Amino acid sequence: MDQIELSLAQSLDHCIKCNICTSACPVAAVTDKFPGPKYVGPQAQRFRREGEQRGNPIPDDSVDYCSGCRVCNQVCPTGVRIAELNARARAQIVAERGMPLRNRIIARAGLVGRLSSGPHAPLVNFGLNFAPARWAIEQVMGIHRHAPLPQSSTFTFRSWFMRRAKHPEQSAAPTNGAQPSALRPLKQVVYYHGCSTNYYEPRVGQAAVKVLERNGFEVIIPPQKCCGLPLLSNGDFKAAQNLHEYNVKHLLAYAEQGIPIVGTSTSCTLTLKEEAPELIGLHGDDIKTVAAGTYDIFEFLATLAERGELNTDFKPITRTLPYHPPCQLRGHRVGRPVLDVLALVPGLQLDESHTQCCGIAGTYGLKKEKYQIGMDVGAGLFDFVKHSGSDLALCDSETCRWQITHGSGVATQHPIEILAEAYA
Amino acid sequence: MQSIETDVLVIGGGATGTGCARDLAMRGIRCILVEKGDLTHGTTGRYHGLLHSGGRYVTKDPQSATECAHENVILRRIMPHCLEDTSGFFVTTPWDDPDYADLFYTNCQKTQVPVQEISVAEMLRREPVLNPQISRVFEVADGAADAFLATHSTALAAREYGADIRTYHNVIDLVRIGDRVVGAVVEDLRSGEQKEIRCAYILNAAGAWAGKIAGLAGLTVTVVPGKGTMVAMNHRMINTVVNRCKLPDDGDIIVPIRTVAVIGTTDVHVPDPDVYGIDAEEIQFMLDEGEKLIPGFKQYRALRAWAGVRPLYKDVDAVSDRDIPRTYKLLDHAERDGVEGILSIVGGKWTTYRLMAQESVDAIAKRLGNTNPCRTAEEILPVPATEYGGRKPTAAVANGAVGSSAPSAPRPTGLFWLGKPLADVERKHSYGDLICECELVTRERVVAAIEADSAANLDDIRRDVRMGMGPCQGGFCTYRAVALWAEIPSRRANADSLAQSSALLRQWLQERWKGSTPVLWGDQLRQLRLDEIIYYDTLGIDLLEERGENDTAGPGMVTEHPAIATEYHKA
Amino acid sequence: MRDTIIIGAGLAGLMGALALAEAGRKPFVLAKGHGTTHWMGGTIDVWGAPDEAGPRAAVARLATEQPDHPYALLSTAELTAALERFRALVAAAGYPYVGSLDHNVLLPTALGALRPTALMPATMAAGDARLPGPILIAGFHELRDFFPPLAAANLNAQGIAARGVYLDMPPIERKLDFSTVTFARLFEQPAFRVHVGRQLRALRGDATRIGLPAVLGLHNATSVVAELQTLSGAQIFEIPTLPTSVPGMRLFTIFERAITAAGGRFQIGSLVLRAESAGERLTTIYTEAAAREQRHQAADFLLATGGVAGGGVRTDHAGAVRETALGLPLRAPNGREQWFAPRFRAEDGHPIFRAGVGVNANLRPLDAADRVVYHNVTVGGNALAGADAIRERCYAGLALATGWKAGKLLGLV
Repeated sequence: MDQIELSLAQSLDHCIKCNICTSACPVAAVTDKFPGPKYVGPQAQRFRREGEQRGNPIPDDSVDYCSGCRVCNQVCPTGVRIAELNARARAQIVAERGMPLRNRIIARAGLVGRLSSGPHAPLVNFGLNFAPARWAIEQVMGIHRHAPLPQSSTFTFRSWFMRRAKHPEQSAAPTNGAQPSALRPLKQVVYYHGCSTNYYEPRVGQAAVKVLERNGFEVIIPPQKCCGLPLLSNGDFKAAQNLHEYNVKHLLAYAEQGIPIVGTSTSCTLTLKEEAPELIGLHGDDIKTVAAGTYDIFEFLATLAERGELNTDFKPITRTLPYHPPCQLRGHRVGRPVLDVLALVPGLQLDESHTQCCGIAGTYGLKKEKYQIGMDVGAGLFDFVKHSGSDLALCDSETCRWQITHGSGVATQHPIEILAEAYA
Repeated sequence: MQSIETDVLVIGGGATGTGCARDLAMRGIRCILVEKGDLTHGTTGRYHGLLHSGGRYVTKDPQSATECAHENVILRRIMPHCLEDTSGFFVTTPWDDPDYADLFYTNCQKTQVPVQEISVAEMLRREPVLNPQISRVFEVADGAADAFLATHSTALAAREYGADIRTYHNVIDLVRIGDRVVGAVVEDLRSGEQKEIRCAYILNAAGAWAGKIAGLAGLTVTVVPGKGTMVAMNHRMINTVVNRCKLPDDGDIIVPIRTVAVIGTTDVHVPDPDVYGIDAEEIQFMLDEGEKLIPGFKQYRALRAWAGVRPLYKDVDAVSDRDIPRTYKLLDHAERDGVEGILSIVGGKWTTYRLMAQESVDAIAKRLGNTNPCRTAEEILPVPATEYGGRKPTAAVANGAVGSSAPSAPRPTGLFWLGKPLADVERKHSYGDLICECELVTRERVVAAIEADSAANLDDIRRDVRMGMGPCQGGFCTYRAVALWAEIPSRRANADSLAQSSALLRQWLQERWKGSTPVLWGDQLRQLRLDEIIYYDTLGIDLLEERGENDTAGPGMVTEHPAIATEYHKA
Repeated sequence: MRDTIIIGAGLAGLMGALALAEAGRKPFVLAKGHGTTHWMGGTIDVWGAPDEAGPRAAVARLATEQPDHPYALLSTAELTAALERFRALVAAAGYPYVGSLDHNVLLPTALGALRPTALMPATMAAGDARLPGPILIAGFHELRDFFPPLAAANLNAQGIAARGVYLDMPPIERKLDFSTVTFARLFEQPAFRVHVGRQLRALRGDATRIGLPAVLGLHNATSVVAELQTLSGAQIFEIPTLPTSVPGMRLFTIFERAITAAGGRFQIGSLVLRAESAGERLTTIYTEAAAREQRHQAADFLLATGGVAGGGVRTDHAGAVRETALGLPLRAPNGREQWFAPRFRAEDGHPIFRAGVGVNANLRPLDAADRVVYHNVTVGGNALAGADAIRERCYAGLALATGWKAGKLLGLV
């Protein structure tokens, strides 16, 4: 058996039943439909058959209420990979009972984005903001009528980037100093934008491109598809595998040359790094090479800063902003690189939330039966943001930003947008 | 001294003894069963849980193989709730003689043990952790058996038919008048009271202790106590029984039983079934052997080690204990020794317990002139109240005063499967009420086990419901169970119940520790330290006064008694 | 590059980080997860063995009586200063501790035993066995880690008048599953408190003190206790329960806030895998992270990973005993056969639990020949060799005092 598989399988053996995970779990705190990570994780795992079931049903139900936020992994003193055990258990349920239509749709971020963004986006957005339409969607698809859905963009990030490559002078973002100078050695970086930047928030990608270029990088944007995380968290491992293999195929050449792959979506980069390979059990060399070459953009910038290679020619931004490190960043296990990097911007103060989860957990909080759980989970964070007095909050993850805005009424940005602003 | 009269006194509350009691009762023969500890206190409660296909014996002991194959089918029918259909592999590893594989296959055919060769690829598909260097794989009908539950179900069935089953009754003497044994003197270990049981026949089903019992009547029965040590691993890395395809040897089988995988066994001759220990070398050897079947085996967490003593009957010159046939033998002491009124059933194995009971009871029934046929192979066993879906027996059944009547307890609906306890908890949303979280034992089931007539200590509850058998080894459930024990209405506000509860706690912690120490390292050592934090730092167990005699025995409670102690207790 | 990395977020690491922050450092606390804070009952046990002269004197005597004990590395003044700093910290957070180093107080456990401790949260103080007045122990059937009748009965057996009762669950939505932390959150709801307080008043009888499980709020326990006292008309005290420990979580939060406010940072969820050094200086440690290791460099390091329970000391089937983070040499019993006493409740505990890092007077790690391994590393808490802090009942006291000193010593450099 593969060493990684073995360590995942053996991780349940590390559980000493101490309840630290359950005490920290934000979902178990607000609903007892979820008995907590110890119970559904290492405890239930001893009653699960991996692989072939030989005619026996899947015994699980309550594990479906795990949001996958990974607080349990983080606080566990003994190293149990609880969130991964839970994700695999959810996949077993899907394998046996099939996936509801609702999950099929929200799990296909790329497809939905492709259909809704573009010149017709205002119409789509009107429909999604229209109460009777949302009621109908809740009835038919089980997406809660109040759940925060993104606003589709009238243009895609890729279309902007391609147009800009052809006509740099027409691009929306300033590009002065962006082109690699002939005097400097050429540095390249691959940007993995993901679905949300492409279809809903091209401004995040524009900011990322600006920051990378200001640091002397040529930004490459290879063909890419959805990272597959929504499929993974809804248990459709097969479809996720296809996407992952596509992405690896198109990213591999860069990773092999040592060109870093950076992303602004903490969930996409985590999926490339670890989620897809571990959950699906893909451990080929190509997959490992791409994983090892992938960085969250602030993780990447913090490494530059540590080596003294970050362009710190910042203009002062005298603001104090609430910052929520999202759950997916927790999964990277790299600390809080945003705090390290933005501390270099004169005048900028970040106030870290110290709350665990906004409650959206990707697609979890969209679902009719889980919407209120998500809102209850996020209540502490919403209060924190509201009471900060700021009109802007920062968070690295897109779905969390939408949820924070939905729950607190305060606008949100990716921290890269503030950093881009700091480069005059 | 109180005197009780019955037709047959069965000695031994293991699989065979309870099987005999059930068979006797179903044929309408009055019987009393006495067991010095709890049901399954002896070897039945200390075996690896293999439902034999017969494969292990096809070469060395063909008769046993055929008996196993036959009984395997019957047990699946009559006690499905106690059995899991795991299937079994016999695999040829690089350390095994490759020529044995063909011989094995031929001998399976000869002994009517169903077998099929499968590809290594198919084996790895089903069990990816197995050693890819395995060269040949034979699939047989091995399964996993919950011997605790099976014995409790058998005892419940026996009671439904009127058998009188008494645990914590130690036989201290057999009453022999001339050439006839006419009864026994037993001591109730809970009350210290002695009783005489008068009977027409004694059926000595004491397993490894059968020689000691026979000796009380001046008879010589040579039972070789063959100690087998086993290690339970924290989770099932495989779901199929895996045997090495070779002549039976030490450390050559891994049985996935309930939530654990048990690797076994060693075979060490010990002088006395009550005096034995577990050596570090035995454990190391089995881990090394496990590594041959499952690479990385030593990195998995070991929970506990224990040993059982095989009741091997020696009537031929066997070179080693493994060469003694595993088949059973019914000794008619009238024919053999000229002493009437006693029979001994010796040898055998768990899988053939029903057949052993049938043959024993046939012999007694004939002498008693009872011509009722044996129906133990047809009637389905009941589910005890300590299980999900079980129900408290009626007072009459619990007191053994029903007589030949229709079954009353619920019957099982299908074979046990690994996920069943989890599915039960999920269905009833009873996860907030788990007392033993590792083994998913709810408050309701623990209370049922405490109230069951036989619970004299926490170990009895463990045997009934698997409480404390998971990774934390009682760390979290012991305090809860002791408190529930103290809250049972009959015991509440009783000064003795307090002394008892502290003593129960101490005894159980020691018991769990004893089983852990041979495998205490890594995660399990860390677990033990957390358990110390709970019992010392949080609860202060050492600060509660120990009250001399009261601390080790109280009314209705037996924690330590010389009659049921092994060397470990004495150490 | 960080100035100081603290490995371990138990009481020793937290106290060390506090000392460093006060010395002007920016402590970076790196830990695999939450530690023994979340398991221990929240009392500060300094020395538990019966000693008329009290814990301070008992510890002072260890310097001569048990020179290998980590307490022998501390002066009485250092011990006192560390605990005073701790008391100031928790008092400032509105969660004051009471007690002293002059004598231990006996507090009832959830089993009804009386356990000795030096300092305790004010929320536990009314449990003091010397205080007069009958006790009512109250709990909930829904909380499976606290059984009032058993605790009360054992108290009675020791001559302390006590009664155990179960309370009705106030009307709430949650029905299925309750942990200690669930109850702590419920006690933060005013309506829940009022419902409980009224029941307590009705059930109180002649009791002047009421013991409840230590779940009376995560953030405002002192005021929850005050309110319940008003409602019930009796003194209220908390009794620690099985893990997770709510009082321990309170302590962690207080430390986390103080250290963060002083410019420190936390990274929880990262396991230290290995270390790199240059000569006698530790330069770099690597933590486990998604897809690749994360590198951390610092000028100084404080090792506070704990012992066998905390995860700083790891054993294996072959009898190897290893320091998990930096691979430091350990003082440990030789071979598995030396690890254990024959009985679980052996008075002196089990030798393996005394395994740890040997240090010099400046808490620098030593090798087998007593040479300093790294000059820029100090060691505190249960990672130190020579104590069985559970059996000696000195877990928190030892952690706070050695952690404080380990931080101070680095801060001076």
